[in-house]
Amino acid sequence: MLKTLIRRELLNNLMTFRFAAVMLITLLLVVANTAVLIQDYEQRVESYNDAVKIHYEGLRKVKTYSTMYLFVDRAPNPLSIFNVGLDKRLGNLIGIWHGFVPTLWDTEMHGTDNPFIAFFSSIDIVFIFEVVLSLMGLIFAYDAIAGERERGTLRLVLAQPVRRGQILLAKYISAMLCLLVPLILSLLLALLLLIRSIPLSPADFFRIGSIVFASFAYLSLFYLIGMLISVATRRTGTALMLAMFVWGFLILVYPNLIRATINPGGNIQERVNTVNNQVQRIVDEYERDRKKFLENEGIAEGSRFHEVLGLYTQASVDSANMMSYIENLTNISEIPPDFERYVSVAKRYFDFVEPLTIRTTERVWFIRKQALDDIFVRQATMDRILLRLSPVGMYDAATQTLAGTDLLGLRDFFEATRRYRKIVIDYFYAKRAFGSREWFAADKGAVDWSTFPEFVFERSDFSVNAARALPDLFLLIICNLVLFMGILLIFTKSEV
Amino acid sequence: MIWHITKRELYDNLISLRFALATFLLFGLMLTNAVVYLREHPERMQKYHDDVTEAQNELSTRTHLYDIAVHGPGSLYKKPSVLQFCAEGGDVFLSDRVFGGFLHWQDGNLTGFWSTLYHYPNPDSKNIRPDTIKVDWGFVIGYVLSLIAILFTFDSISGDREHGTLRLTLANAIPRHTVLIGKFLGALVSISVPFTLAVLANLLIISTSSAVQLSTDAWSRLAIIFCIAILYLCLFLALGLLVSSLVQRNAASLVILLLTWVVFVVFMPSTLAPITSGFSKPMGHYEYTQRRSKLHEQLKSEYEARVQNMDAFPSKKMELAGEFVMNDVAQRINLGQEYVSQQHAQIQLMRSVTRISPVAIVQHLFESFAGSGFERHRHFVENVQRYAREYREFVMDMDRSDPDSPHIIGVREGMSQKPVNPESIPIFEDRLSLSHDFNAAAIDLFLLVLFLVVLLSGAYLAFVRIDV
Repeated sequence: MLKTLIRRELLNNLMTFRFAAVMLITLLLVVANTAVLIQDYEQRVESYNDAVKIHYEGLRKVKTYSTMYLFVDRAPNPLSIFNVGLDKRLGNLIGIWHGFVPTLWDTEMHGTDNPFIAFFSSIDIVFIFEVVLSLMGLIFAYDAIAGERERGTLRLVLAQPVRRGQILLAKYISAMLCLLVPLILSLLLALLLLIRSIPLSPADFFRIGSIVFASFAYLSLFYLIGMLISVATRRTGTALMLAMFVWGFLILVYPNLIRATINPGGNIQERVNTVNNQVQRIVDEYERDRKKFLENEGIAEGSRFHEVLGLYTQASVDSANMMSYIENLTNISEIPPDFERYVSVAKRYFDFVEPLTIRTTERVWFIRKQALDDIFVRQATMDRILLRLSPVGMYDAATQTLAGTDLLGLRDFFEATRRYRKIVIDYFYAKRAFGSREWFAADKGAVDWSTFPEFVFERSDFSVNAARALPDLFLLIICNLVLFMGILLIFTKSEV
Repeated sequence: MIWHITKRELYDNLISLRFALATFLLFGLMLTNAVVYLREHPERMQKYHDDVTEAQNELSTRTHLYDIAVHGPGSLYKKPSVLQFCAEGGDVFLSDRVFGGFLHWQDGNLTGFWSTLYHYPNPDSKNIRPDTIKVDWGFVIGYVLSLIAILFTFDSISGDREHGTLRLTLANAIPRHTVLIGKFLGALVSISVPFTLAVLANLLIISTSSAVQLSTDAWSRLAIIFCIAILYLCLFLALGLLVSSLVQRNAASLVILLLTWVVFVVFMPSTLAPITSGFSKPMGHYEYTQRRSKLHEQLKSEYEARVQNMDAFPSKKMELAGEFVMNDVAQRINLGQEYVSQQHAQIQLMRSVTRISPVAIVQHLFESFAGSGFERHRHFVENVQRYAREYREFVMDMDRSDPDSPHIIGVREGMSQKPVNPESIPIFEDRLSLSHDFNAAAIDLFLLVLFLVVLLSGAYLAFVRIDV
């Protein structure tokens, strides 16, 4: 019986104008936008490669250890085509250096960066699905029950020995089968385009597969919302209007409204000030230790020692953005003969002061990181939680996590840069760089950078991303189940 | 007769579910808009005033002409528009100032002069909150009102045809265009009523607040914006009537309209913009700084070569130094302008292509008249450039008017030593002019009207020719 019902519904759905229209639009939008997105991705890769090259060559030109300024570039994520998330936001250029530990917010942008481009909203495949799939689901569902009731066919069907649940299930299954056609077909075409120009790893296919699954759950959720409306109303006209306004509200109005009204900023300035005070204390301590060392060595401020080294020491706190800098830069390539007697002191000085710098910066980082997380991440998390009241929020969060373009994905990258900084520092220790002549002078040969460690970053495993996305996926599935139960309940109780 | 049909349509609509829902939606959005605006705007104004006062205080501490030329007026700030609730225009992504004065190199005893510097740090670059559209009038009208317009008209002809009432109506001696106009007006009035009320409620909240003063200029701009909104509404009503009379069934009409709406309103702007952005490649910031320092190095080595054996002629040497400083500032200004104009040209192109979408047109119009967004920013940069010229001319004039000065601009000893009255230094004032905004909006206004005329005549033709 279920089979007959499904076949009937399937034919009813497939032979409609709306199916053809929806099919056409989905294919058109997805394919056209994939082409655009691939082009955009390739541009970003190109500027990433340029940046890597520039920074590689830049490092090789440096003659002394102390003037080293290392840059690490973040490669664009190929799955940003599906959900761009934060991939184009925040910076993609991070300075690595023993005198500063970067946080997520201490980055810059490489590449052609027209700042005005930011106000053209960026689009991705998930965004297209958010809009089109939800609309599709509602358009197919609004008259599922109400239409049959209006035409009187519902009565006919129920006159047969069919359970009401079976009717609902048949409608659901056939509509889903129908709606899956444009979803799968458009994704296949997009993938075809993708594979031709972007190399994807096997793990990426698992990610894409999971994104398809999330899309399916999202689509089904909207179909069920439409069905609920259809069961609860008597006339198709009313059902349609309700469905459209619900769509407008959930997709268009709610996400934007919630972001505008919620402003969980708190008193940011106060927080910034306390952090600055704390950091200032640490920095002062550092300066005291440094000066004490010089005093013990019998070197006065403004002496020949400072003059020849061109010693540029700055330990400052920028109160505007909580940045703190500790720099001990010296950039001399030759040492005048009368300075030779200072060389051993200079070596001792740097051997003492640079490890101190490293320790200090790590303490500063810890304080800054907490404050920055409080200020920026709390807002974003709050937004995300409230957004989940609309299916769009759940779907977006799940796919973002699967694509690895969410905040945690970015965090992974920053962890990697922090590890890299440690490796670089270990390298310095191993080479005894701090106490060496090459730290500040290049007259006895420049630094050999050939054995310098390279930065590598692998995106986290698929299993990690999947585990992070699970709560949102579960939420989507639970919403589906609850809605289906609700529909079943209303439908069995309703009169025909 | 028209009035009769309009009245019938109006009564039909007023008691419908969609009318209630639309009213609810519009009011909710407009009230939120007002509340959010009142929360944010005073802070914005306060920040602007603080910044400007600080800059001016700093300016008035200098009395030596040379210091004035070197340090310049500091950063120059963009005045936030009071009508930001109409169109936010991506202002969070735009810098609220043009930097200047930070870029003075020091070579030996020479210092570069102040010039404007166009590295906009994106104020939004630290934001990790989810991407959303700001709920301003542009959003409410561009997206929500157009959707409502479609939902009100998709069944106006096809529904009547389905019910058979169209045949009844036309059986009377009523010309078809009268029916069409009547239906059009009916829908227009029944949407405009809640829309106007929502707008009035919004303005009531904003204008009664003590934190915001709306000037006459602002009110006339608001009136223009309201008229544009009604024009835009008519556009979508015409589209709805066109599709509704072409198609036999309600459901088909709605599907076509919704998909058209989704394509033109939601996707068109964000798809077309990145396609066009590939056509031109403006100078990146890295290239800009590289070229800047290269130009400077060239000039410097030239200067050093010429100045080498001139120790015997101090006045000649000073002249050369002055020439060097002035050349440097000139080429830096040229390069900066090239950099900015290339960026602007790219955006200009992107914006003109997105004009295929009516929502982009209406948002451009709102931005122009609300004084926010890209056009406004461009105008602001032009103002800054004009002011920078004025400022440099002021330095020249002050020097010229001092008979004791050796008139060698660019070196401390070569310039007038007379103290300058800080009050005589020109002050930057960023202002809007309605005529300029009209000029900027002319194309968009024209396109909007063109679209409307095409759709209206299309609807007319389609309705006149249909079989009932």
